[in-house]
Order: sequence, then C-alpha cells, then structure tokens
Amino acid sequence: MQTNTYMDDLQEEKKSFSLRDIAWAIFVILGSFYAWIQYGQLMDTFEIGILIGSAIGLIWLGRFWPSLQSLTLWVTGLTLLALWTYQNHGNVITANEQAFFLKFLVSSQSAFMWMSALFVLATLTYFFALYNKSEFTGKTATTFVWAGVMFGLVGMMVRWRESYIINFDYGHIPVSSLYEVFVLFIVLTGLIYLFYEQKYKTRALGGFVMLVISAAVAFLLWYTFDRGAHVIQPLVPALKSYWMKIHVPANFIGYGAFSIAAMIGVAYLLTDKMLKRNPDSAFASKMPSLETMDDLMYKTISLGFAFFTIATVLGAMWAAEAWGGYWSWDPKETWALIVWLNYAAWLHIRMSKGWRGTPMAWWAFIGLLITTFAFLGVNMFLSGLHSYGEL
Amino acid sequence: MNLAVTLLVMLSIASVIGTVLQQNQTYQDYIIKFGPFWSQVFNSLGLFHVYGSAWFVIVLLFLLLSTSVCVTRNGPGFLKDMKQFSENLSLNAIKHQPNQQTITSNLDIEAHKQNSIALLKHHGYKTKLRQYEDGSLTVAAMKGSWNRLGYFFTHISIIIICVGALLDSNLLLKYRELTGHLKPETRSVSLDQVPPESWLGSDNLSFRGTVNIPEGQKSDVLFLPYENGYLVQKLPFTIENKNFRIEYYDTGMPKSFESDLVLTAPDLDKPIEKTISVNHPLYYKNYAIYQSSFGDGGTKLNLKVYPLLSPIVNPLTLDSAVNKTEPLKTPVGKFRVELNDFKMHNIVPASEEEHKATGRKMHNNGPTIIFKVRNEQGKAWEYENYMIPSKQDDRWFFMTGMRTSNAEPFRYLFIPADADRKKDRFFKFLALLNNPLESAKIFAEKFPKTDQMSEKTYQLQLKLLQQLLTLFRQKGFNGISDFVEKNVPEADRKKVSDYYFGQTSFALQTLYLTVLEQEGRIKSDNEDIPPFDKTWFEDALNVVSNLSQYGPPMYFSIESFKEIQATGVQITKSPGKDVVYFGSALLIIGVFFLFYVRQRRVWIHLRKTDKDATELTIASKDNRNLPETKQEMQGLLEQIKHFDNKK
Ligand code: HEM
Repeated sequence: MQTNTYMDDLQEEKKSFSLRDIAWAIFVILGSFYAWIQYGQLMDTFEIGILIGSAIGLIWLGRFWPSLQSLTLWVTGLTLLALWTYQNHGNVITANEQAFFLKFLVSSQSAFMWMSALFVLATLTYFFALYNKSEFTGKTATTFVWAGVMFGLVGMMVRWRESYIINFDYGHIPVSSLYEVFVLFIVLTGLIYLFYEQKYKTRALGGFVMLVISAAVAFLLWYTFDRGAHVIQPLVPALKSYWMKIHVPANFIGYGAFSIAAMIGVAYLLTDKMLKRNPDSAFASKMPSLETMDDLMYKTISLGFAFFTIATVLGAMWAAEAWGGYWSWDPKETWALIVWLNYAAWLHIRMSKGWRGTPMAWWAFIGLLITTFAFLGVNMFLSGLHSYGEL
Repeated sequence: MNLAVTLLVMLSIASVIGTVLQQNQTYQDYIIKFGPFWSQVFNSLGLFHVYGSAWFVIVLLFLLLSTSVCVTRNGPGFLKDMKQFSENLSLNAIKHQPNQQTITSNLDIEAHKQNSIALLKHHGYKTKLRQYEDGSLTVAAMKGSWNRLGYFFTHISIIIICVGALLDSNLLLKYRELTGHLKPETRSVSLDQVPPESWLGSDNLSFRGTVNIPEGQKSDVLFLPYENGYLVQKLPFTIENKNFRIEYYDTGMPKSFESDLVLTAPDLDKPIEKTISVNHPLYYKNYAIYQSSFGDGGTKLNLKVYPLLSPIVNPLTLDSAVNKTEPLKTPVGKFRVELNDFKMHNIVPASEEEHKATGRKMHNNGPTIIFKVRNEQGKAWEYENYMIPSKQDDRWFFMTGMRTSNAEPFRYLFIPADADRKKDRFFKFLALLNNPLESAKIFAEKFPKTDQMSEKTYQLQLKLLQQLLTLFRQKGFNGISDFVEKNVPEADRKKVSDYYFGQTSFALQTLYLTVLEQEGRIKSDNEDIPPFDKTWFEDALNVVSNLSQYGPPMYFSIESFKEIQATGVQITKSPGKDVVYFGSALLIIGVFFLFYVRQRRVWIHLRKTDKDATELTIASKDNRNLPETKQEMQGLLEQIKHFDNKK
C-alpha cells in the first residue's frame, strides 16, 4: 500500500542515534570515569550517584541541545590545561601568580574577570545590534555570551580544585558562599538565556536579559574588590554534605529562569508602550512579537517554578538531616516559600483567569524584586541558619 | 480560585512578617525594641510566634480546605476530559477551534482517512473515528492526557503536605494549653522544680527539642521551646554522651564536631552505640537524634579571686565549674558569681609580624572564662578573662574585659605580665598602693626629715603623699584633676595641679622602686631602671588608673581547669515527615506533568464535495493555548498536502 511506503518515509525522519551522539556519550562517560579515578576516594556513595546522574544528564542534555557539546569540550579543555599547569608548576600555591597561562587566563580569578568583561561586552553589543540592525553584531553578542559562560564554568571548575590546593581541609564545590553562587547565577542565567535565544530566535531580548547579568557582575566585582569575598573560605560543618551539590544548582536554575522572565517582562512593557504610541514603531519592529514574549515569560517561569519546587523540596530534606527538621521557618526558607507562592499565584491567574500581557509582565518584574530579596536581601538584612556569606 | 490566590498571598504576607520580626525572642527583648505598648499589641496578634499562632494555622487549614474543594469540584470534569476524544464535535464546532484550516483534495476519503490516522499515530496521538451516515467522518486525536494528571498530583500533594505539616505542628499542645492542662515554664530552674504542667509524656505525637549533655553524662529529657518559655519532654530512652570531639580549621572555625552516643531503652537487649555528627544523625524507631551544637558541659575551674582593694596579696581560692553560681562575701558587700562559659580557644587573625615570622594566619589567645558578678541589688557586671598573657607591641598582657550590658562590647584592661610572665608583681604593687601603713613606712624610711624642714611641714608633706595615693587608687589620674578642679581657685589650678601630679608620680615611683628592690631587679634607688620595668610601670599605672571603672573590686584569675564539653543534641519525633516527603514527590512529578506534558487535540474532518473531491478540515487545540500549537497543526497539514501531491 502506498500509505505504508509513505509512512516508511516518515519513519526515517525520526531521529536516531547519530555517530555524533555516540561519540558524545562515549566522551562524557570517559570524562566521568576519569573524574572518578582521580577523585573517587573523596566521594561518598551519594556523590558517586551524583556523578553518574550528572553524566546521564549531560549525555541527554547534549543530545537535546547540541551546542552544549561544544561548550563542554571547550570547558573541559581549558580546565584540564589549568589543572595540568597547577600540577606541573613546581610550587602549586603560588602557581596562579607565576604561571603565565594561569595568571592571565584560567586561574579561577582570571577566568571570572574574563567572564565579567565578556558579559558586560555582550550587553553593550546586544543593544548595539538592536540599534544598527546588524545580524552580524547580534551574532557577535551571542558569541560573547557563550564565551562568558565558558569562562564562568572554567573558573568554577578551577576554583573547585584550588580550594583543595590552598588547604586540603577547605576543599569544596564552589557553590557555598554568596560570592560563589553569584558566579553560578551568572553562568546559569546566561546558559538558560542562550537556550531560549537559539530555540525561539529572540536575539533582540539579549540586551535586556544581559542587564540582570551585568548587574550581578557589578555586584560580584564590588564584592571582590571592596570586600575581598573571593578568598576561598572553609565550609561550616552544616554545609559539608552531598546535598549542597544538588540543592544549590537547582535553586539557581530557578533564580536564573525567573530573572529572564522578569527581563522579558521589561522588554514586553517597553515594546507595548512603543506600539501604543506608534503602531509602526521602529523599536517594536525589531522586537519579537508581544505574543512570543508573553509565551516566553510563561515558559521561563514554568521552568523556574519546576526547578524551584525541586530545590525547595531538596532543601527541606537537607534541613531535616542537618538541622533536625524539614522546615524551621528560617528566613531563607521562608523567603523561598514566598517566592514559590508568588509564582504559583502568577501561574494560577494566567491559567484560570486567562490573564495575559501587561499585568503579567509587571508581575513577572515584581517577581524579580521578591526573588532578589530572597537571594540577597535575606543575607543582608535578616539572620538565620542559612548564614553563608553575610554582607 | 480567587480564594486560592488570596490564600497564597495571605500566607506570603504572614511569612514576611515572620522573617522581618525576629521570632521567639524573650519578651524582655521585645519590650526593649518596641516599648511596652506595641509589644503588647504585637504579642496579642501572635506576631512574635507567627508560625505557631492560631491565625496562621487557620490560614493553612483554609488552604487545605479550599484545595480539597477545588479538587473535588474540578476533578470529575478533568477526569472525563482525560478520556474524551470529543469525536462528536460537529464540523461547525471544529471550525470554531482556535486553530483550523480547510483544504480540498482529489484523493478519496478512504485514502485520507488511513493517512490521517497513520500520521497522527506517528506523531504520538491516540485516535478515535466517527463516521457519519452521509459518508463524512471525523478522525479525533489526543495526546498528553497526563497533563491533567499533573493537576491532580499537584493539588492533592498540597493537601497531603498540609496534612503532614499539621501532624507535626503543635496543634495538640495549643489545645492542651487552652484547656489549662499545659503551662510552659519560663524560669531557668533545675528539673525537679519544673511543675508537672510543664512536662510532656510519650503521648506527645510530635516534637522537636534540644538538650545539652556533658561528656560522661546522660539525659532522658528534652527541652522544647514553647512561646515565651519551654516544656520538658520525657523520652522513652536514655542518651549518654560518652565522648565529644571537635576539630578546628586553622581559622579557628569549627571544622567538624561529633559525639559518641549510647542509647539505652527498656526494650533494647543491647544499647545502640553510634557516633553522630552534623549531617549524620542517628535514627531510632520514629525518633531522630541530631548533632546540632556544642557548648561547655561544666568545665571544672580552679580560680583565684584577687581583692583589688586589699592591702596585702591574699587571693581567695575558688573551686567551681561552669554553669555554677557561687556566693562571695567581701568587705565591700555580698556578691554572686555566675560562671557562664569557658572557651578553650580564642582564635584571632595573627599580627603581620607573627604572620611573617611563623607563616600562621591565625593566633590562639588561649582559654577564657565568661562570668557575671551580681550585687545584692541585682546589678551585674559581665567579664571575660583570659588565662594566659598575649603579646601586644612586644609586651605581654593578661586581658580582662568588662561590660554592663549585652548590647555593649567588652572594654579591656591589659594587666602587664612581669618578667616571669605572671601577674604576681602587679598584685604586689597594687597591694602596696592599697596599704597606707606600709607606704607611710616606706616614705618615712626613704625620705627622713631634713633639718631645714619643720616637723609640721614634714608631716603635712607625708600626709599629702598619702592622700594623693588614695585619690589615685580611688579614681585614677582623673580623680586628681577633678579634685583640683573642685577645691582650688581657678588662678592657682595649673600650679597646684602640676605639683600634685608630680607628687603623685613621685609617690608611685617610690613605691615601685621598693617593689623592684625587693625583687632584686635593682640594688638601690639611684640605679637606672631596666627598660622592661620602665614600660611595665607605665602599663601598670594605666590599669590601676582605670580600676575604678572595673566594677566590684575583684579580679578572677584562672589557675587551672579541666575542660568538660557538652554536646548539643536535637531530637525530633516527626510523624508528618514521611507524609510531607510523599506529598513533595507527588508535587514535583505533578509540576512536570503540568508544564512538560501538553494535552493536545486534533480533529480531521473529511467529507465529499459536489465535485467528487474531498474537503479536509483540520483543527487543533492545546488546553494551554500555546503558539506552538498552530505551527504544529501547520506541520501536520503540510504533511497531508505532501501526501496529496505524492499520489
Ligand atoms: C498552595 C496551593 C496551590 C498550588 C501551589 C497550586 C499550584 C498550581 C499550579 C503550579 C498549577 C499549574 C499552572 C499551569 O499549568 O501553568 C495550577 C493550576 C490550577 N490550579 Fe492550582 N494550586 C494551588 C491551589 C489551588 C486551589 C485551591 C485551586 C482551586 C480553587 C486551584 C485550581 C487550579 C486550577 C483550576 C488550575 C488549572 C489547571 C489546568 O487547567 O491545567 N489550585 N495550580
């Protein structure tokens, strides 16, 4: 039958494992295996579980979003180079100031400086692209973001190793202090944004999203140079747990996604205003359609909400193990709940009342203020059990 | 639905209050902060214990209720929606869907029917066919009905989590308090003085409390913070702290702490022995025992109390321990000494020179005791005394800090150590200053009356020295200036003051030289004083001059100690925990179903037109109304057209 042959054609369209996918999987497996051989004696059972989980996750993510594969290769290459330099530079403690390669490129501090510069540059370039309507300028901006994300990730990997070099007792994954999570925030927000940009072709939103990241960069620089917060500190006993490795990143996927939603909200409001003033506004013609932005707000908030839910539940389970109770109404916990309730309300209004557009954009923006308070304000103004990185 | 959002907002606001107003402080602290009136108001609104207050629990109950009602109301409709294909939709209704399009084709209905079904199946849809008598038909398709399951999972999970939280809440205790069966204890008294209304037995379903157990001791009770006081929870087992260990980083921060515990219970054949540490608790039945803090468990202290006004060095020996209170009877009144804490290490950043010399970033100032001295009127002075001297500007000092309120920082006196790095010389010198008889004798000996001086002038002179010494001892150098200010006419002040200061220094020096001679540091008054002793003298005068502001005239010196640490254990019984975890798992799964499973429907209606062609109407719908839906329908249509062309 013809129908059948036609369906056979369709069948071939379906994705199968390509050679590239297989090579990718092998690469990730070998890399994880290497990590296990190198550092396995420092891991407990749960951490080995996390390693395996990350490997599976990375294989899936790389297949789902191939750009991630090249990013991973770059990050791996530079990180290995940095570790190798540390290893072979005689005096490991002073290597970051002596070895050229470390000093200027990939010691964690240098990498973070590159990251900061690249994100600021990306912000400017995105806006410039909006202004001069050049496809090429836009692409350059996107490349800056990729490079910034790459340096951020390299910096984090290298800092992880450096914490063991400074003092073996201090060693920990760099997601434990306010300084470290700011880097995490910058990297994750950049990465999540890149995904949406690629998928929905929304480069015009780049400048807006990069504004939040640039603000975070400004804070990070102030925190480094004014407060010396970049110095690697040992962990308090409560933080010494495998839970940190999953709780914190999950949280920051949430924060990152919410920030993106808020900035899309800002772009929405601006575009809407321009269109009301002049339906043929040149600015609005360069922006994605209002409908697309509204939809993206919903998508990013859903993503954030899903991960924030996971993070909060994981946090509760960790709290049960470290502090003896899954919920203590500690200010950080409570504010996480407030953020969560806020977005639950946002989703409800959208779903059940069908609200769209301007009010939701405003709400998404206000959500960022609430999120920022949970992220930063709690550390600044309130005291509690979550007393990492006070300002 | 509006109710749901209102409740969410109310919960948020209540939570904000709870984080902005510090919770569960003592009522005293609130009065200091807000004054009696507002404290009263806030307290009656339950704002100092928001999360345990009645209205907060009521909001939670409402949330539970409204979510339950919501699920029961929406449930049946959603369940039906999950199974329904809506294949009976009329052509007209199909054409009213958000996305729809109509094309005509030369292929016959049968070919399109087969193709449509295969195509939709290929895209993961389930299909249902509806044939009409006139030969027309509808292929109705659906996928992702689990999206609706997401609604059930999330909302039922909220109910489950609320139930779990209520199981672990203090609802029952509140009830017992209201009916007068329970009264929290607010005094800090020994266990046998806690009245029965403040005790809880094994009938208490859930609790979370702490207890400090010194090394080598046991406990079978727990203290639960409750409103402005606490309750005592009797445990069905006994916990013994066999050993407590703590390790520090080189910054002085605790690196890890752990306790070797022995748990005995009547129904256990063999006691359970386990070492717990932070993040690694001990689970026993439905109890969980956590390492939560540490503190002093009554370190044994051997103290010497130096009376600061005594004319001889006669310290009193005091054998006591941390957490004890000792009465002290002194010539200047009765006091109580509350020994509050002992710290083995006091680690501070090292000075630059030390860092250069040793490479160490941190410096350990050694053990301290923290204690309060309270007079009969209840006024208290708090002290922090260091046991060993620490180095400042190349000299060694014993630091002792004093303050009269928690809100202030300690102000320190630096008692200079003698050449043996001890306090002996200081107290010898001080006693001499306090001893008019002895000093008079020394002055007379060293400065016999000369012939030019009349007896009367000589006696006056000696008396003046004594008076100046007394004044200095009582109020320091400031005392002397004050005295001049008050008693000397303006015109002569400068002259008199210079003279008095000269005479005071002279007297002090004379006495100090005697001390040095007794020690054998110098042979005669005319010899040069070694530089060490010179600076020592200045440092000592500095201390003596400030003693008048040091509170009751006593100095507590740590002679020796035996450290006993206590482990801070938190024990919980939390029947709601697993319920909450189950609800949380359901919530996460539900959220993913809701967001990442899209419920989509497609209808393809086929009918013959007059010209023997087929009219194909396609429509699609996503209950989330996303922009993708339209594109996906276009994609389907393209494939249908493609099929059409190929034939
Ligand atoms: C703390 C309580 C609640 C939470 C956290 C919660 C959470 C959610 C979430 C995350 C969604 C999904 C929104 C989306 O698909 O974009 C949702 C949908 C919904 N909720 Fe709630 N909800 C709660 C209470 C309630 C209550 C009390 C009601 C009813 C009065 C309700 C009615 C609905 C309805 C009708 C939907 C739309 C379902 C759909 O069409 O897919 N919710 N809820």
